[in-house]
Amino acid sequence: MKKQIIKFCYRKMIDAQSAKPWEKMVYEDSYAEFRMQIQNYRQHTQYPSYGELTHYVPEAAQLSHRVAPAITGYVQQLNEVMPDILNNLGRRFMRFNHFQFEIINSHLNLKEKHQIAVNFYSVPFTWHDTIGNYLLLSFADENTGGEVATQLMQLQPFLSICSLQEDN
Amino acid sequence: MERKNFLKSLLVGAASTSILVQACSKDDVSAAESSSTSTSTTGSASGSSGSCSVAPTETEGPFPTKSPASYVRSDIRDDRSGYKLTVNITIKNSNNSCSALSGALVDIWHCDAEGNYSEYGGSGMQSTNYQSVHFLRGRQTTNSAGLVTYTSIFPGWYSGRATHIHVHVYNAAGNSLKVTQIAFPEGTGTALAAVGGYKKGFSGYTYNASDNVFSDGYSLELATVTGNTTDGFVLNMSFSVPA
Repeated sequence: MKKQIIKFCYRKMIDAQSAKPWEKMVYEDSYAEFRMQIQNYRQHTQYPSYGELTHYVPEAAQLSHRVAPAITGYVQQLNEVMPDILNNLGRRFMRFNHFQFEIINSHLNLKEKHQIAVNFYSVPFTWHDTIGNYLLLSFADENTGGEVATQLMQLQPFLSICSLQEDN
Repeated sequence: MERKNFLKSLLVGAASTSILVQACSKDDVSAAESSSTSTSTTGSASGSSGSCSVAPTETEGPFPTKSPASYVRSDIRDDRSGYKLTVNITIKNSNNSCSALSGALVDIWHCDAEGNYSEYGGSGMQSTNYQSVHFLRGRQTTNSAGLVTYTSIFPGWYSGRATHIHVHVYNAAGNSLKVTQIAFPEGTGTALAAVGGYKKGFSGYTYNASDNVFSDGYSLELATVTGNTTDGFVLNMSFSVPA
């Protein structure tokens, strides 16, 4: 099969039930920042829920971008390796260099409504083959001809291929 | 029935943010509040039949450490060039005999020498490189004297507004105490005149008296600004908030 260069995106959802330390810190700090930032919109008392506010005040869609700096430090602590996504050896391996913070739901006064996602965008991978349910991958920047280290990985919920390019 | 389908679309993770937002606005967030949604979209990447994932077999970790928002910094210049401006803001408590208010969070933001603000990320679904910065936006916590200090540049101006700095004061819990703006003195011998509006000059400039924010009276919002273009400028501002 023809080799393709692909990038993955992983949408990591975090809500009040998330239990890992990283998730909890991201949850707490993004909620604190959300509460601060929503008060920049004078309609926040009328529409304290994120869904309602962005519906009636379209510019409030900026809130995801305004809140994102609250979690930048935590994303940096991942050292450019995505959480949760494992190869078939059970190790985290998927490097990323971009992320996007997303508010799904939130509320000025009801913390349990706060639900967010961190979207991770991977570095380019070469997709060599598909073996059963697994993708055989290598880091595109390491793929210079000759022997190359490969990764075997199964697609899973909330992990998608978000770009593709023919490798000439 | 419609809602059922909508929830189904959430389960497969196919709903985009905008759909979700519109849907929950319409239904007064009830759709997205239902417990079935919150439990099924926790991002757990395992459990569904036919696509079981391997369990992690790694050294325990990572061990995250508490990290402040990247707004928290004293030098807010990043890559912006211009005459250095040291901003000193003292916050007092109007509910406590105007004594110094310590522990308050103070956000400031203003435009660069050309009159542009840093944007809040890209449009739509554009991802953010985490090296990206929010130039000329910063947050500090008042000390025991109620003082916060920032290192910035003298703001430029843009059409329709006099030169200004935005300020939002919160208590330690993040509750808004005051949203206001700082105005600059005008006229011969002022810092504003020395800076000269940077490259644009003052052609088309809106002075405080005509500014739609300051024109109703700005004596309480007017800062003291000293210094020169060689050594930089120092802005001192003091105001009270009900805390």
